[in-house]
Amino acid sequence: MRTVVRASLVAAAAVLAAAGCASGGGTGGGEPSEPLSVWQFYGDESMPTGKPFYDLVARYEQQSGTDVDIRFIPYDDFNRTLTQAAAAGDGPGIALISAFDTAAMADAGVIQDLSAQVQDWGQQGAYFPTNWESTQADGKTYGIPHLADAYAVYYNTAMVQQAPTTWTEMESTAAALSGEGRSGLAVSGIEGAEGATGLAIRMLAAGAQPTEIDSPGGHAALESLRRMVQSGALSEGFLTWNEEDAKNQFATGQAAMMINSATYVNILREENPDLQWSVAVLPSEATGQTMLSAENLTIGATSDDTDRAWDLITFMQRPEELQVYLPERNKLPARSDVPGTAEDPVRAVFAQQLQQAWAPDAALAPHTTEVLTALQAALQQTISGTPAPDAARAAQATIDEALGTS
Amino acid sequence: MTVIEAKGALERTRTPSPPHRARRRAGNRADQLFLLPAVLFAAVTVVYPLVYSVLQAFQDVGLREVIRGGAEWVGFANFADQFGRAEFWQALWLSLVYTVGTVVLTYVGGLALALLFVREFAGRNVMRALLMLAWILPTVVGANVWRWLLDGSYGLLNAVLRGLGLIDGDLFWLGQPGPALVSVIVATAWSFAPFAMILMVAGLQGVPAMLYEAARIDGASAWQQFRHVTLPALRPVSVTVMLLIFIFAFKTFDTIYLMTRGGPGGATLTLPLYAFQEAFEFRRYDTAAVATTVMLLVPLVLSIFYFRSLRREEAA
Repeated sequence: MRTVVRASLVAAAAVLAAAGCASGGGTGGGEPSEPLSVWQFYGDESMPTGKPFYDLVARYEQQSGTDVDIRFIPYDDFNRTLTQAAAAGDGPGIALISAFDTAAMADAGVIQDLSAQVQDWGQQGAYFPTNWESTQADGKTYGIPHLADAYAVYYNTAMVQQAPTTWTEMESTAAALSGEGRSGLAVSGIEGAEGATGLAIRMLAAGAQPTEIDSPGGHAALESLRRMVQSGALSEGFLTWNEEDAKNQFATGQAAMMINSATYVNILREENPDLQWSVAVLPSEATGQTMLSAENLTIGATSDDTDRAWDLITFMQRPEELQVYLPERNKLPARSDVPGTAEDPVRAVFAQQLQQAWAPDAALAPHTTEVLTALQAALQQTISGTPAPDAARAAQATIDEALGTS
Repeated sequence: MTVIEAKGALERTRTPSPPHRARRRAGNRADQLFLLPAVLFAAVTVVYPLVYSVLQAFQDVGLREVIRGGAEWVGFANFADQFGRAEFWQALWLSLVYTVGTVVLTYVGGLALALLFVREFAGRNVMRALLMLAWILPTVVGANVWRWLLDGSYGLLNAVLRGLGLIDGDLFWLGQPGPALVSVIVATAWSFAPFAMILMVAGLQGVPAMLYEAARIDGASAWQQFRHVTLPALRPVSVTVMLLIFIFAFKTFDTIYLMTRGGPGGATLTLPLYAFQEAFEFRRYDTAAVATTVMLLVPLVLSIFYFRSLRREEAA
């Protein structure tokens, strides 16, 4: 009998130990004495994309006396981890999520309705409408815009005197600059949504919405990029490049120009101090719009530490804090009252570009990844030799099905 | 163990007195309780996710249902939807091409290495240890090494080919459908081959030397010895290696994702990547579950076939 009792105790201890090990995940901070948890995908404290966020939160901790536990989850794993945690009732206090995911996360019940807090706060009018729109779902507010980003043309001033202002100029200038192992333009074209940004920007310029690939503007955009590959203006390798790879092409002089976001401004300044470069707004045709890139601060649905979470969110949105934080982070404000944005000429160009930003509406936002993935597939097919109208038709069918418009 | 005991002892074991029986029952219960943590662990980490995933294939599950529950039971509708899609069959076909290519290349490479390393020569252990690095290296490192090797602008392969005058300009191996598929197969086989080598070295060491001696006396050439002695003797190990590599390759996600993300144009979008895309990019957890269920069934059927043939062989 004693053996049975001893074995039962051992087994119970093992099970309890296992359970104990499993419960150490991100918590909403049920007890005020526990640190407030913040999940983000920018980077860890040692990374240039992560450090400014940690510094910003450290300033809050110092001022408020609140302990904050920041958890970095790489972007590719972020939504999966957040979803799983929410399903297990163990989500974070604050989740920094992509602006385009906000409506879907709200609909699924991953994040909290913040309408009441926003009403009391009263600063919603300070935000650019495109950014604020991304926080809305079913007439309620589910987040606060954290920052914004835009795409623009980086150009090597040792090779290019003035950046092209139209896509016709872009094609001819990039072709003229190519040769001797160098391409005129670099842009990400890698499989998936990330590689569709260049095509989406080209479509917007041609007057087509990113959901309208099978249209004259969509065909024109595909044919434009194919012409650039055929002339050597754009390396065929762009289909394997992510945005970091495109930056590396530009930084090493393998590309004379690149279309990329403001993320790389400080990185280029620090890692390639001898590189001579500047930035210009995107070439224009019917429009010169950029894709908006933005993130929102949200509060996890399972968090019972809403007050502290809201306090940190509003701290992070103070214009004087953003004035320090955004230049370090290479990003742009999502609100119009942040001083200093125009002082840096490079950041001023991105801010100017942000005035012409396209973002998906609430109906399209949850399907953005699928739509952009279909666009990239059409791009890849066109570069491989499929006639642009055929590639566009196949992609359009996928897009229509995703949007329920077929 | 009791077979070698004296008859009387056996009889005592078979007909224990009531106090002994009670003690044994208590002992058995104690043994079973010691198993409980392992059983619970397996139930939580294997059985529950497996059943949960298979059940999702029969429900209408999006992001909302994952969080809030209340998924509607739709029977085989998800299977009908997926089996009616060219993308699904394309992913399954690519998975089979990728898997069979990897198995063949791994087996041939592993066997060649095993034949080399079963012999004694100077530096053998060092070389074998270096080769094992490919198996030991984290996938993220191995895949990025291959990305760099195959890069069109800076890659070592292109530099060598240019040096030999075989190509002119950049060749983007991962940017074209056919070469990209071959590249991921080669990269996967490169990482699996040392594992196959270890198993086959053990197999080769088990082949009796007298078989070769007899073959040599009969005048068999080196090729004939390999063809008629080595290969038949290695058959059980070969089948095991191929089955294991098939299962490893069929479920491989990381190498392909890191090298191509399933591209270009879906040319390397195998079933695991297809399932990942459906679930975590498009948030269609139900159709992703159909893909993972198929991913479960294919190696399962193959394993059953293998074990049956093994039993038949043993019986013969």
